[in-house]
Amino acid sequence: MSARSWGPADGPLGPLDQALRDCAAARFSGELHVIGAPGGMICLADGAVSAIETPWSPSPEVILLRSGRVTSADWEAAFTAATVARGRLSDELVTRGLVGAGELEAVLRTALADAMFAFAAGFVDTCRAEAGTPDFEMPLTPGAEADGLVAEALRRMEVLADFPGPPLHARARVTAAPRAAARRETTPDDGHDGALALIDGRRTIRDLAFARGRGLYVTTLEVARMRGNGLIAVPAADGQHPGDEDGDPQRKAAAVGPTAAGLPRRHKDRPAQPKRTGDADGRSLPAVLRLLRPRADGGPQAPRTVLTSNELGGM
Amino acid sequence: MTEDALLAEMRALQDNVPGITGTAVASRDGLIVRADTGGVDPDNLAAIAATWLALTQRMSREVGQGTLREAMTRSTGGYVAVYAIGASAVLVVIGDEGLDVTRLHRESTATREVIEALLSGPPVSARTA
Repeated sequence: MSARSWGPADGPLGPLDQALRDCAAARFSGELHVIGAPGGMICLADGAVSAIETPWSPSPEVILLRSGRVTSADWEAAFTAATVARGRLSDELVTRGLVGAGELEAVLRTALADAMFAFAAGFVDTCRAEAGTPDFEMPLTPGAEADGLVAEALRRMEVLADFPGPPLHARARVTAAPRAAARRETTPDDGHDGALALIDGRRTIRDLAFARGRGLYVTTLEVARMRGNGLIAVPAADGQHPGDEDGDPQRKAAAVGPTAAGLPRRHKDRPAQPKRTGDADGRSLPAVLRLLRPRADGGPQAPRTVLTSNELGGM
Repeated sequence: MTEDALLAEMRALQDNVPGITGTAVASRDGLIVRADTGGVDPDNLAAIAATWLALTQRMSREVGQGTLREAMTRSTGGYVAVYAIGASAVLVVIGDEGLDVTRLHRESTATREVIEALLSGPPVSARTA
């Protein structure tokens, strides 16, 4: 099998489940591109999964650096040495004693399971396999069995489905409930304080996972528990745009169209966004914006680019 | 209000591209127009972005590579990208380590068009009259 595609299919993983089974049966080595939300790429060696890249799930690098397990300086030194020696970063990290071989394998396996969960939590439209020798810096060798990763991803989805309330989307923004602040002052740390400190109304569940260097599943689980305890709120319409990303027919149908005001508008049916609690720069219409516009009297269309201090006095 | 439409467009980009943690629009003079950057100082960001854009555009011309499409830094903690908005403004995008760069390339093109139209269009009252 040198190249093959899989079209849309039912099930939490769409065509990905079948694609992985076919790749395992053919002992495929190469890249399996996942098109959907999130998109991503699965690195396969002899049919087993050795690495996964997806923007919804922290990579092993993020997990090791954000957690402080490896410092940025040590990481860069190991990366440079591995590059110069044309070796693997994972081997260099172990050789330098920055992380144990067993610990690194655990991190790699955890990251693979979390990335597969991200695919299950999102939407997979199509898959495309291309044979080759992927060059990943930190592959799991030998790779993980795809069947096990899929089964674990589905089990995690079932665990989350048991929590009361609407399903939590990875791109849903999280806001702190009023009682959260009071609780932080009166309640001993039960493990939620780290997450609560990062909840600012701007970050999504996926953003929290990256900010803490923890998996998407673990973060979603924690958010579900905090929501159950009344510590946080997850507005239903906020940040949930599974149809906004690759391959979703709804998004394609909603693409480009002029607004009544004549401006190009990419998302005619974008849901109303609850006002964020974050600190967007909320200044009134600045002088800069007025000056960027062309003159209304039919004068030169090129916006002015030089502002004087007097013109900025109204800011 | 135009500035609200501007902020809505910036946030739409953030919604559509996984990994964006902040956005800002500044004038080419380094003055902030609108920012949604979390804990990042918008005034400093605007000043640096304007200078950075000017330098990278100069670099593109110097090496004869045509119009600058974007300038991006990649650090251990994430990405920062700047885009020219017409001749008068700059869009700054801040992202974490998982930023979907491919998606950003695609989405930012449409966002730049909308923002340029918002910045260069007539006042709202005149447009809707």
